[in-house]
Amino acid sequence: MTRTKSVSVAATVVVTALALTSCGSSGGERVAADKKQTLTVWAMGEEGTRLKAVTDEFTKQHPNITVKVTPVGWDVVHQKLVSAIAAKKTPDMAQMGSTMMGEFIALDALEPVDTKTFKKSDFFPATWDSNVKDGTAYGVPWYADTRALYYRTDLAEKAGVDKAPTTWKDQQALAAAYQKAGAEWGTDLQPSSTGAWQSWVQYLYSAGGELIGKDGKPALDSPAAIRAFTQWASYFKKGLAKKTFTPGYDVTKDFGSGKRPMFQSGPWMVANIDDQQPQIKGKYKVVPVPADKTSTSWVGGASLVTFKNSAHKAAAEELTQYLTTPKTQAKWYEADKALPANKAAWDEPALKGGGDSLATFKTSLDTAKAIPPLEKWNEFAAAVEGALSKISQGADPAATAKTLQKTAEGLVG
Amino acid sequence: MSTTTAQAGTPGAGQDAVVPKAQDDGAGPDRRRRDRLSRHNLAGWLFSTPFLVLFLTFMAFPIVATLLMSFTDFGLRNVTDPLSAQFVGLDNYTKLFQDDKFVKALFNTGYFVILGVPLTIGSGLAAAVLLNSGIDRLRTFFRVGFYAPVVTAIVAVAVIWRFVLDPSEGLIAGLGHQLGIQTPDFLGSETLAMPSLIMMAVWRNMGSAMVLFLAGLQAIPTEVREAARIDGAGIFQEFRRITVPLLRPTMLYVAVMTTIGFLNVFEEPFVMTDGGPNDSTLTISLHMYREGFDFFHMGYASAMAYVLFVIVLAITTLQLRLLKDKTS
Repeated sequence: MTRTKSVSVAATVVVTALALTSCGSSGGERVAADKKQTLTVWAMGEEGTRLKAVTDEFTKQHPNITVKVTPVGWDVVHQKLVSAIAAKKTPDMAQMGSTMMGEFIALDALEPVDTKTFKKSDFFPATWDSNVKDGTAYGVPWYADTRALYYRTDLAEKAGVDKAPTTWKDQQALAAAYQKAGAEWGTDLQPSSTGAWQSWVQYLYSAGGELIGKDGKPALDSPAAIRAFTQWASYFKKGLAKKTFTPGYDVTKDFGSGKRPMFQSGPWMVANIDDQQPQIKGKYKVVPVPADKTSTSWVGGASLVTFKNSAHKAAAEELTQYLTTPKTQAKWYEADKALPANKAAWDEPALKGGGDSLATFKTSLDTAKAIPPLEKWNEFAAAVEGALSKISQGADPAATAKTLQKTAEGLVG
Repeated sequence: MSTTTAQAGTPGAGQDAVVPKAQDDGAGPDRRRRDRLSRHNLAGWLFSTPFLVLFLTFMAFPIVATLLMSFTDFGLRNVTDPLSAQFVGLDNYTKLFQDDKFVKALFNTGYFVILGVPLTIGSGLAAAVLLNSGIDRLRTFFRVGFYAPVVTAIVAVAVIWRFVLDPSEGLIAGLGHQLGIQTPDFLGSETLAMPSLIMMAVWRNMGSAMVLFLAGLQAIPTEVREAARIDGAGIFQEFRRITVPLLRPTMLYVAVMTTIGFLNVFEEPFVMTDGGPNDSTLTISLHMYREGFDFFHMGYASAMAYVLFVIVLAITTLQLRLLKDKTS
């Protein structure tokens, strides 16, 4: 239980660092792209370790630039970046998770993207939109992920369903059929805890709703939002999904055993299932999220950002350009299985022959919507999760949405 | 060991608090102060410089900074320019007690402490007494067994307990299934999640209480026990009239340390439940961590830290008063 102590000490150390370094250097001179220089890049998790292979190719073409990639864990990256910004010791470039953009734009830490070099039309619209605040883009989309529906075809057949679910109604009928045929739960749906919003936003978008309305205010008590809450909650109400959640739960095993034969998740699950549950190869399918008004998923993923006080912005732009060309993006897909954000990359052979599930994600990406960049996204998401956890336990969707809207209004604007 | 402890109000707890009064009276406080600053003590100061430097930079300064911060609205945007944070007086503190989540966290932490501390002390004492006199063989084995959870990383502990408590294929669920009983989803239920965490914390912390009690028990002179037995005391009377009173200093130390640890509870809910379901295991420290590091409300989180600090201080003082040795 000494964690608290170290937490509060860490908190104060951060602040101390802020105080001590507030008069440190800023900006620094610019270095042209063809001068000898070292470019530091922070990349998260697995990407951090795999990126080096790609940047090695880049340095072959640009022998004057040395690229230093520092892998940073996803769990600590937020704090590390905030500390680095406070200390004015940021790297030149970083990979930035799509939901983290808003916060760092608000901190005024990111360099706007040169729209002459990077064109919005080259990328999937949603991947670009999550980097745009007040008309200015602050990051170039690197890779994308979007949610789709995974379901067991063999068990569906046993349960008497031979058609892929395309509407909310189909989806729920399939869940009920699964359960009737012996599955413990009709579907997997995260009811509460960190990340629960990810199980709900595709319902909101498919119902025609939005997180932030046209007027710039949250739209969480709109009729579409309430419709989405109600539909989402009906799985718990009817006993088709488990009401309680254990942090760290991974659906892969239960999907393989047939205990939860349906779930919604991102593209990485294809590799996870093939690795951990090889026995169900060919016995499951990935389809776009079922539609209400439309089938609209949401886009996560990561962008490449350059920090404002980097002295190597020209070189950073070169590297960003290299990493977002169709060829490199296709190579990156082979290395990391991350979906290219650049549309043209999907015509490369590695992706063209990628099979059905890949085609599904391509379709989803075309229509998916962005998570708008919000300064207080963490709080916003936590508020949505709080509401979801109440609704999953049986609270009235309309009333809860109203309270949520009020909380959210205090967080936006 | 003598049972004389320091005079009333002296905070020094435990066995070392034996301060014979006579010596104090010989040297007046004035002479002592002069001594402390004299050249004579230069070496002492030099030797303690490394500690002092570290303490001042990493403990004292942050502690003061946190206090100051708790009166400001320090948030994410102040990161690049800390001095731009606005002083808001006691706003953070008044806001705290209107924050439903904080009140719930206070209640949950209280629940955790009130149930967890007596259970930890009780089971630690029981284990120590049994190991001290009951079991002769395998003593080391049991000692290691009870102490192992204390030194095991919480993440490893969490993995094991998740397996034990898992509602579909866990150890308890499996046993229940064999016996034909439907076992509940411990961590998923609002009523059972906290008791489950308490059980885990007791299991995890009783080892340190046990080791301290063992040391205390071994310091009890055998003559006293023999005398009691000659006087016709039974096992229970011996425990009640000899062991417990003579263990009082140890008891005080264990109670104070365990309570402080339990009041600061963070790891158990952090790794096991993430504060859920529906905030039923949200503790003050966890709430503080989220406000501070997830949402970057540093001012607000600092205020929370100070409220917790005052609570810890108050409870510790109360314990020192209540458990003070009255035999001298």
